Amino acid sequence: MNKRTIYINNLLVRNTGITLFFITFLLVGCVENKDSSGLEYMPDMYRSPAVEPYVDYAEIRNKQNPELAKKLSAKTPPIGTIPYYGTDKELVELMLPYKRKPGIEFQQTHGLVDYVFSNKNEYELAANDKINPIHIDSTNSKEIFEEGKKIYSYMCAHCHGEKGDGNGPMVKSGAYTGVPAYADRKDLSNGQIFYSIYYGKGAMGAHGPLINKKEIWTLVHYIRKFQDPEYGKKDTSKVEQSNSTDVEIIKDTITVNNSM
Amino acid sequence: MNKSFYKTIKPTAVFLSWFFVVSIIAFGSSSFSQEEEGQVKIDGKSLFKSKCSSCHQPHKDGTGPKLFGAKNKWEENAMEGSIYLWVNNWQAAAAKDPYAQSVSELKPSAMNPFPELSKAQIDAILDWVDEQPVPTKSNDSLANAGPGGEEEEESGNSLIWILLGVSFIVIILSVGGVRRQLSISLKEKEGTGDGKDKLTYTQELKALAWKYRLQTGLISLVVVLSIIVYLFQTLYGIGVVEGYQPSQPIAFPHSVHAGKNGIDCKYCHNSVMKSKTAGIPTVNVCMNCHKQIQGEDEAKKEISKIYNAAGFDPTSLYSPGKGQPIVWNKVHSLPDHVYFNHSQHVVVGGIDCKQCHGDMTKMTETAKVWPVKELNEIEGNIKLTKPTLTMGWCIECHDKKEVSKGSLDTKKDGYYDEIHRRLLNNDKELYKKYLKDNKVSVKELGGWECGKCHY
Repeated sequence: MNKRTIYINNLLVRNTGITLFFITFLLVGCVENKDSSGLEYMPDMYRSPAVEPYVDYAEIRNKQNPELAKKLSAKTPPIGTIPYYGTDKELVELMLPYKRKPGIEFQQTHGLVDYVFSNKNEYELAANDKINPIHIDSTNSKEIFEEGKKIYSYMCAHCHGEKGDGNGPMVKSGAYTGVPAYADRKDLSNGQIFYSIYYGKGAMGAHGPLINKKEIWTLVHYIRKFQDPEYGKKDTSKVEQSNSTDVEIIKDTITVNNSM
Repeated sequence: MNKSFYKTIKPTAVFLSWFFVVSIIAFGSSSFSQEEEGQVKIDGKSLFKSKCSSCHQPHKDGTGPKLFGAKNKWEENAMEGSIYLWVNNWQAAAAKDPYAQSVSELKPSAMNPFPELSKAQIDAILDWVDEQPVPTKSNDSLANAGPGGEEEEESGNSLIWILLGVSFIVIILSVGGVRRQLSISLKEKEGTGDGKDKLTYTQELKALAWKYRLQTGLISLVVVLSIIVYLFQTLYGIGVVEGYQPSQPIAFPHSVHAGKNGIDCKYCHNSVMKSKTAGIPTVNVCMNCHKQIQGEDEAKKEISKIYNAAGFDPTSLYSPGKGQPIVWNKVHSLPDHVYFNHSQHVVVGGIDCKQCHGDMTKMTETAKVWPVKELNEIEGNIKLTKPTLTMGWCIECHDKKEVSKGSLDTKKDGYYDEIHRRLLNNDKELYKKYLKDNKVSVKELGGWECGKCHY
């Protein structure tokens, strides 16, 4: 063999290595598919007959069960089911179904069409619900406000703003306009604030499905705090002692205390 | 030297300072005049924001109709001055003016009366509204249309690799064939071969391998090693779902919702603090905002999918249709034999979502399982080494995460009180051992017990 053939032979030997290298890479590359969760060990341990939330049982490991599609995941509880809130009487009473009803359209549209369709305009009636069932005075206000701040920060703050000025990040980014500041709405009663959160009002959607009634009433306390920095600081004993003019302002609080 | 420098610069400096003074006077006076005007002029903008904006927008119908051009309409159609009466007390206006009567029937929601607003203030508000430019194209439309583009590129890449590989093989085979023909014809020409020592391909290959045994040995070593490595990689990859990013029915950009608009994760995934699952937001959570935000271009197309799901017609609120569930693809799946509870980790453990789910505020594509390397880069995360969503990963975190820093004596009214009490009263030696690193970890309170997660 002359030099030329040796050269060609060398090329062949080198190329074989390179080709094998590329084939290996190709095989590895085939596995990387974002839509594939990769290989599973014993898939029957991943997909069991036990019904888990958010699993579509229409397709299990390529086996099709079209009759199960959209049926077995995230099921709604049977009609008439009520949650169990324990034996604490106050809590259970708090969690009883809300007495003010929205219009029939609200139910038909899953709350998309809000209070404006309410038959008797119950929003106006809610103005009479002056009492917040969660009792507040100087002894427990700190805890209630702490809890309220927590809920407020993830439920309300993105529109209404951390300070309740209606200037949250949603408004700043321009996605939403016309969020009122709480300080401008001092005329609203506790019941109306609750109603607005529960069923939604104007541009705001219904939040009853997102948070429970105890959390909403806690929020009502926290929102009152934006309107009046002194809110919740007073207690009954202090009121009895003082003769100052602010007694009238606190009158509402006193009736709350007596009624509880 | 210095003096001459100043001499040359002097005229320029004089000119500049003159220019400076003049410009200050000019601009200063203009700003003064503006201020003077502002004192007389009523600020329509702030009035609009405080009184009207919760129901009205300049260019879009909301709870109330848009106000742009409202003044003109009233001047043309209604009696003079009845617009002021309308704002002060709309019922009185509706009783007096037939146009006001027709406006009062536009929307079922009644407008609040604003008796405190004067004529001049109402004028200022309406003038300010009419000054607002008509929005052409909103910048708020979602900049990120979803995962489409990149995937295509990737599949294109792999096609190139396949083509390259095939052409390499073809070249190698043809070169080999040519070489063989050449050597045969060489031998025939030299007269050395009479056909008997014509080697078969296998024999030739063997001879060749023997001749270049060093190279052959090295190459086969590399090949064998890479096959072994590949095999082990595949084996270790079983049950590892890092990077899993299933396609979703709606190209939902977390970056716009959680990032730009600052919505907390817990707003949409609102069962995370109460339930085992974090929850896929229901359509009415989407509709809480999207009945107002209808988007543009790409975003409009995606948002209309929510409307289909909700049976909502954005053009008229009054025709509720029938909905269709959105079928999202589940991203984070644990085997059925693992128990995991979100509320336990978020409420009791105080773990931030980003520890496991990454920084979704920057995620322009749909959700994915974040590889542990990317999770470690996020500030405030506990650094882990094992792949995301494997048992090693869970266990590692249970070892590193502390339930309490320092002594347990000060801990009161907490979730772990009972376990703390038992530990303090029953086994002081063990407790001292635990406190050596000045923290009590999840593992030390039984976070490594099999029964915690498997039962």
